[in-house]
Amino acid sequence: MRFGLPQTTNPRLQLLKNVVLFKDLSMRELAMVNSMMHERRYIADEVIFDEGEEGQGLFLVLSGRVKITLPANIDQVLIELGPGAFFGEVALLDSSIRTAQARAIEDSQIVALFRTEFYSLLDTHSAIASRISFQLAKVLAARLRQAVLTTARPHHEAA
Amino acid sequence: MRPPSTRAAIPHRELAAGPIVWLGIIVTTCLLLVVSQYILWLVVPVMIAIIAYYILSPLVDAGIRRGLTRARAVLIVTILLSVVLFLLGVMLAPKVSEIARNLPDTVASYTKTANNLFENARRTLSHKVPLLISAPPAPGSTSALSASANGQPTAAPLPSQGEIVTNVSDLQARYSGDVLMEAARWIPSLLLIPFITYFILLDGPRFKRFIVQAIPNAFFEKTLYLFYRVENQLRAYFQGLLTLTFLDALCLGVGLWIFRLHEPFLLAAIAAVMAWVPYLGSIGGGLLVVLVAAHDFPDQPWLPYWVIGLFVGVRMLDDFLFLPLTVGRSLHVHPLVTMLMFLLGGAVAGFAGLLLVMPVLGVVMVAGQIIGELLTDERILARHRHAQLLRKKRARADLFDGWDSGPGI
Repeated sequence: MRFGLPQTTNPRLQLLKNVVLFKDLSMRELAMVNSMMHERRYIADEVIFDEGEEGQGLFLVLSGRVKITLPANIDQVLIELGPGAFFGEVALLDSSIRTAQARAIEDSQIVALFRTEFYSLLDTHSAIASRISFQLAKVLAARLRQAVLTTARPHHEAA
Repeated sequence: MRPPSTRAAIPHRELAAGPIVWLGIIVTTCLLLVVSQYILWLVVPVMIAIIAYYILSPLVDAGIRRGLTRARAVLIVTILLSVVLFLLGVMLAPKVSEIARNLPDTVASYTKTANNLFENARRTLSHKVPLLISAPPAPGSTSALSASANGQPTAAPLPSQGEIVTNVSDLQARYSGDVLMEAARWIPSLLLIPFITYFILLDGPRFKRFIVQAIPNAFFEKTLYLFYRVENQLRAYFQGLLTLTFLDALCLGVGLWIFRLHEPFLLAAIAAVMAWVPYLGSIGGGLLVVLVAAHDFPDQPWLPYWVIGLFVGVRMLDDFLFLPLTVGRSLHVHPLVTMLMFLLGGAVAGFAGLLLVMPVLGVVMVAGQIIGELLTDERILARHRHAQLLRKKRARADLFDGWDSGPGI
């Protein structure tokens, strides 16, 4: 017989389950990753991170919308991100500086997974961390392919 | 082509504090030391538990790697810690009790040995440097007794044998009960150590997240980064310190065992632990062992000098081999600041201040550096003010609509 409050499904886990990075994780593994994340709430127009800052980790949008811009031209939005999307993922791999600014378009609920915590996950739960790394590598490969195609297209069109 | 940024990229800066931050660090450390001496019964176990946390967390991680849950790994490690502490307590209790009972006799006996040792050293040196002959012998030493018998001047009048015995009995009557009472008073506090360590190991990460929640969004990423850097620094420091203590104790213990001293590894462990107090601790530990050698082997006058040689050798091994390998990434406090803080710690909080000054300085230094770093970053401050304005604007929305054009209140 078990005592205590009945266990309910954490709504944040349900949201995280839909994130592509975590799609290979079981709910138990996801709960482990979730316990390492930091939840923040940003008000509309608040800056999440700036271009030129040293990146420390990846951010996931749980609710609300976020835009990625270059401060030199904040009106030109590079991309808009909604629930389930993530950004700043390169900082999970190294401490390079952020190349763009992230700003909340509307009130947003965001979770952050920091590089130090991800490294600690690699150390203690390498199977979970390797599955996340594999998904991250796939996402980055797709973005690289997209970037190469975008760069190559004008040449083809010109030819 | 990427448009040029309107704001220069912020280069990564090493954590460093300016003079104002350092002044704040020193003042805060002194204030904390003054306060801590009134709640020493709590400060000491918490401090030891924090050190134990840094030392034991690799064991917990190893347990988690082997498939245990965090709760189970922490429980097993804490049980192991408790068993080790219990066994140590059982082993050392009779010895500590005996030492406490005989403390006044032991102190008197060792004081006499110290005087004789000093006098022998002075006499040996005086053969080489004749100027020292004019210095009077130390009171209580055998030379002083003979000098007094020959009518030569001594530094102070010597007590008679009867007076010494009366003084020792007096000391014994006055302090032996106090020492035992003091030891008994600390037992409940020390029993708290495994309990506090257990909860720091179990809930430490959750507690950190709880603290981080209070940090405003603008400071969040940078604070967390500095927090982890500092934690890694402290972890490396404490783990390195323990390894260094073990290596020191091992080398000294083997050396003292070769010299056939009684309880060589216990003495070596005490000297190695005393070396946690920079500079003064090493000297104190060395003097203690030299004194024991001189006391236990009065027929071997050169033994203390061999022991000094052993200490110098281990010290050199420490500086050139062990230190860079273990505490290489330590807190990097300047030697002058360390000495100054010891003097200040001793002045404001006595013996407790001497014991606590380095760990407290380490924590305050780190906090001061983080706060200094954040408060001098104009961009982060501007972002924080911007976020505050946005929130204030939201809170005021619709409250003051129509005040300019509407009817007066």
